[in-house]
Amino acid sequence: MTSIIALHGVTRRLGGEAVLQDVSFSLPAGQSCAIVGASGSGKSTLLNLIGLLDQPCHGRLVLDGSEVAQADADQRAITRNRLLGFVFQSFNLLPRLSVLDNVALPLSYRGIRLASARQIAKVQLEKVGLEPRAKYHPADLSGGQRQRVAIARALVTEPRILLADEPTGNLDGDTAQDIIELLTTLNREQFMTLLMVTHDPAMAQCMDRCLLVRNGGVFDA
Amino acid sequence: MPEAAYGPGWPQRFSEALFSVRQLGARAWLALFGIAVGCAALVALMNIGHSAAQYARQLFQGLGSELLVVNLKATVEGDAPVRLQPFELPPGIRAVAPLAAGVFAVQFNGGSIETMVAGSTAQLFEVVDLQAARGRSLSAYDDQAAHVLLGASLAARLQVRPGDRVQLGSYLFDVVGVLAPRGYNPMLPVNFDDSVLMPLPGTRRLSPVPEVATLIAKGIDASTLTQAARSLERHLRARLMQHDVDVQLPRQMLEGMAGQSRMMTGLLAGTAAVALLLGGVGVMNVMVMNVTQRRREIGLRMALGARSRDIAWQFLLEALLLSVAGALLGAVLGLAAAWWFARVSGWDLALDARSLPASMGVSLTLGLFFGLQPALSAARLQPVVALRDE
Repeated sequence: MTSIIALHGVTRRLGGEAVLQDVSFSLPAGQSCAIVGASGSGKSTLLNLIGLLDQPCHGRLVLDGSEVAQADADQRAITRNRLLGFVFQSFNLLPRLSVLDNVALPLSYRGIRLASARQIAKVQLEKVGLEPRAKYHPADLSGGQRQRVAIARALVTEPRILLADEPTGNLDGDTAQDIIELLTTLNREQFMTLLMVTHDPAMAQCMDRCLLVRNGGVFDA
Repeated sequence: MPEAAYGPGWPQRFSEALFSVRQLGARAWLALFGIAVGCAALVALMNIGHSAAQYARQLFQGLGSELLVVNLKATVEGDAPVRLQPFELPPGIRAVAPLAAGVFAVQFNGGSIETMVAGSTAQLFEVVDLQAARGRSLSAYDDQAAHVLLGASLAARLQVRPGDRVQLGSYLFDVVGVLAPRGYNPMLPVNFDDSVLMPLPGTRRLSPVPEVATLIAKGIDASTLTQAARSLERHLRARLMQHDVDVQLPRQMLEGMAGQSRMMTGLLAGTAAVALLLGGVGVMNVMVMNVTQRRREIGLRMALGARSRDIAWQFLLEALLLSVAGALLGAVLGLAAAWWFARVSGWDLALDARSLPASMGVSLTLGLFFGLQPALSAARLQPVVALRDE
């Protein structure tokens, strides 16, 4: 099976200390993978590197067949928009925009006109069951609903890789379970590679694979 | 998708920037107000200057470019009024007329109006281009008669016609004519439209010692008026030993007006520069605060695919919109100020077509200059750092 994510000898130092040291692994397309590890072990740093929000100090990073570690800022931004979707623990919705415009936001960077972007966003909101809340603002929604909106925003560009950084960290048990089911369903039905940082072993067990980050290295758990 | 087609369209960039500016609330108004005051001063400055120049041009045309006014002041008290007839004209002078003026009540048909009464000679009609609209003008034959002409406005107010008799002091005067409207000439001590004009000897009926305080002269050629003024001054000093002689040219008066206008322009330019600078700093302050408060949003937008230039444009457009809104408000205030100033000064407001493009240009430049640094600092943020911001 073709690797959609491949790291070769990736090192990331922060403040002179190696958070990740000589990390190599690959992930086939369509796989779901949990990243686990103690707090401060470098899970989020690893996710940020794969998400092109950060750059490695050494090593190669290949996403969907393209070497991106040394890509310039513009190329990384375009790759993020085309290839990646992000779901954050704190949802990161823009409070002054409506739910619909939050979901449509990534499409604006593709040059899609607002009216068309809203149409596409509406369809995506239907998929996460929040189309009736399209005109609401994030502050009017529950935590679980906000995370569904964030997932709709991540999916609206039809990314091949979905990166989730503790997506259930701010949610109660039932809601968290709903969100995990939604993510795994998307992974199965849309063949979308899912990489999720989590502290919860039960969540990690729902994934096809589990990577443990420890002492700057990444190991199959 | 080719990289060139990537990024939000301009309508979307503008609508997002507009939306963000509206969200700024009171802070936006503060920055906008600074720019507005600066632009108002700039627009007022240009339009007041333009109106003043227009007024000066009209005035110069109205003054008569060959006119000279001589102010006489007796240096010896009780000195006899100057004797001017017959008058030997110096080189470059076409005609000279003396003018003795005082304020008296003119009565007719039960009505009474306090107005200026001017005594002069028939030469006055040539010198200041006076004409009788009805009746006739004065001549040397009227010197010993109780004859007067009335200015157009005064005649209309008193409803006097040639042939009527008006009372001045304890004398009755025959109205031999009504002057054609002449318009106000600021060089002359008398507004002929509102005056009674009589032969110079006739003024003895109103004042035992009428004083000729002014001579009005007309040069032969406007281009040699300065030399003519000098020769007239020399000529008069030689003959009027006990008088101060001061010859005024229209140009001197216009230069005086220009000096006042320059001072006004300087004051307004200083106000405009300081206010625009403060407005620009205000815009920068608001934008720096804006960027600081929206670091997480910047990080999120970058995560969703915004390039550095998309972020820079977003904040730069917000700064430019603030500046343009300030400029529009300032333009309205500036036009209102210019209109008020022109009205108070008795001018017609002449709009300077360059004032609005200039104020817009200055405000856009300010927005660009003061908005660029915050916009670039936003664009240079690392997404991972910005997203971590609380």
